[in-house]
Amino acid sequence: MPLPGQIPSLKMSNNTVWRLLRHNISAGQIAGYALASFVGLAIVLTAIQFYRDVSSVWNDDDSFISKDYLILSKRVEGVSGLFVRSSASAGDTRFSEQEIADIASQPWARKVGRFSSASFNVYAKVELGGSSMGSALFLESIPDEFFDVTPKDWTYEPGRSSYVPVILSKDYLSLYNFGFATSRGMPQVSEEVIGMVPLKLSLSGNGRQEWADARIVGFSSRLNTIAVPEEFMQWANKEFSETPAEAPSRLIVMLDRPGDPQVESYLEEHGYETAGDRADNGKAAFFLSVVTTVVIGVGLIISILAFFILMLSIYLLLQKNRTKIHDLMQLGYSPAQVSRHYHLIVIAVNAGVLLAALAVMLAASAWWGAPLRALGSEPASAWLTVGIGIGLMLLITLGNLAAITRTIRRSFYA
Amino acid sequence: MIENIELKRVLPQVFRGSEKEAPVKDSELWLRECVVFSRGSNYIIEAESGTGKSSLCAFIYGSRRDYDGQILFDGQDAAALSIDRWCELRRRSLAYLPQEMRLFPELTVMENVMIKNRLTDFRSGDEIRRLLSRLEIEGKADERAGRLSVGQQQRVAIIRALCQPFDFLLIDEPVSHLDARNNQAVASLIAEEAGRQGAAVIATSVGNKIRLEEFELMRL
Repeated sequence: MPLPGQIPSLKMSNNTVWRLLRHNISAGQIAGYALASFVGLAIVLTAIQFYRDVSSVWNDDDSFISKDYLILSKRVEGVSGLFVRSSASAGDTRFSEQEIADIASQPWARKVGRFSSASFNVYAKVELGGSSMGSALFLESIPDEFFDVTPKDWTYEPGRSSYVPVILSKDYLSLYNFGFATSRGMPQVSEEVIGMVPLKLSLSGNGRQEWADARIVGFSSRLNTIAVPEEFMQWANKEFSETPAEAPSRLIVMLDRPGDPQVESYLEEHGYETAGDRADNGKAAFFLSVVTTVVIGVGLIISILAFFILMLSIYLLLQKNRTKIHDLMQLGYSPAQVSRHYHLIVIAVNAGVLLAALAVMLAASAWWGAPLRALGSEPASAWLTVGIGIGLMLLITLGNLAAITRTIRRSFYA
Repeated sequence: MIENIELKRVLPQVFRGSEKEAPVKDSELWLRECVVFSRGSNYIIEAESGTGKSSLCAFIYGSRRDYDGQILFDGQDAAALSIDRWCELRRRSLAYLPQEMRLFPELTVMENVMIKNRLTDFRSGDEIRRLLSRLEIEGKADERAGRLSVGQQQRVAIIRALCQPFDFLLIDEPVSHLDARNNQAVASLIAEEAGRQGAAVIATSVGNKIRLEEFELMRL
């Protein structure tokens, strides 16, 4: 006649241990923790994803919210600049090495680039169907990394390259298309058409003169200038300039945090000007980052509180079951064997909470994804946020598990 | 395997300061330079209540550490053993029947025994059933332990303690609630199991001694 306990199957005995240990587990407490933890984590993850999605709007260079670049120049006072042309006294509107170093050392400045301008004469000529138009021009160059566009062929090797690539401010094209062309009854042109127009540049100075072919290869909305590659500028300045290279009068600064109020006060203090109204756009970004930080902070506080709720109910549960836990270890059960059952609950609950929070985050991201796309911006990938969620939950879970193991080991001795 | 358990000047911390008074003064165990329990022998420790016999068992079994002096397992200080090592000893070397038995009242008799046997995988279900029947509680196998009489619980706890290999069997007042006939049954079962494993039995008693045939009597 077989007895129920005759088969010492692991499963049955495992269940026996579990039946002992699950005593006093409060479904209400676990549900309370799960809810609080879910709310906290969902807020954190959703806020992070929102920040990432929305900031992708101004990581798009062409976007309506300008990226974190500033173009600095000094204020032109009175008419002093009109009469004086020697580098010594015109130093007013130029940045000295010391000033540049000071800007670069500011906490908000990630990188500083210099505009180098042509110190020789440039005359550009367009020949179309026999007739030709021409104008005196100015050229500038900045390091490539500060461009918002990277057209192909943006290189120049003296003697090798067949033409000089030029990047034009988008504003100039608009000025021509919507100002000049419409009022004069001339044809409006697209960026593509302009790119096909052959230009001839006359470079002169230092007693020499040379013609060079040029082509407009791109339009920048960040830079209001006529830009050529730095290699070309160095070469041309060496060939045609009568004076040694001058200090730059304009700087481009890559900012660490868009719209940081420190920037504004710094510019104010030193009497620098920025091009356009880009700094205002940066303020929106700054405001967004502040709001996001606050929301993430609130979410984190909720998560931390939830963590303590769970810790508290774990301690309570283990305290209530202390005798049973102690007795099991008296029989030779190791703390690990006893902890395992509680570990499994915590892992299951936390995994559930994580999945639910991730689902909320993804749903929310999809919800605001449509209007963002309508603004012409692709929402950021959710992988980083998912990773952060997993990392946070892993941290919380490890904390819980360690607390359980520690408490159970403490019950080992009477 | 543990051959010898040595007690060197062991004293429960509650007796600190009363070293010159009874019961410590007259004890054959407390504060003695060296007391040795060896595998293969039986010991009955006779004591009045309140002299610390349950404490002695708990010290040797590693569930309490509030003593001065040293307990050595083959020369190794028991106080230095890790928790995992203790767990291993409790499965392979040290068997213990606490005075309060510590059965789980919500589990059946069989489950109470199996919860130990599962760890050691020492006995088959048939063997366990034979042990139950030998102590005349086979009919209670599916009864919840909490509903048994104290005498019945004592017998279940003894069987549970025997569900493992051991070098030393610590039994704290094993027969306090048993009549003479059951005392005899328990004693012969324990003597048989200990003899088969070449183990030592350390039994405490306040009056009703387990009826082992050969033993060394010590006064606590």
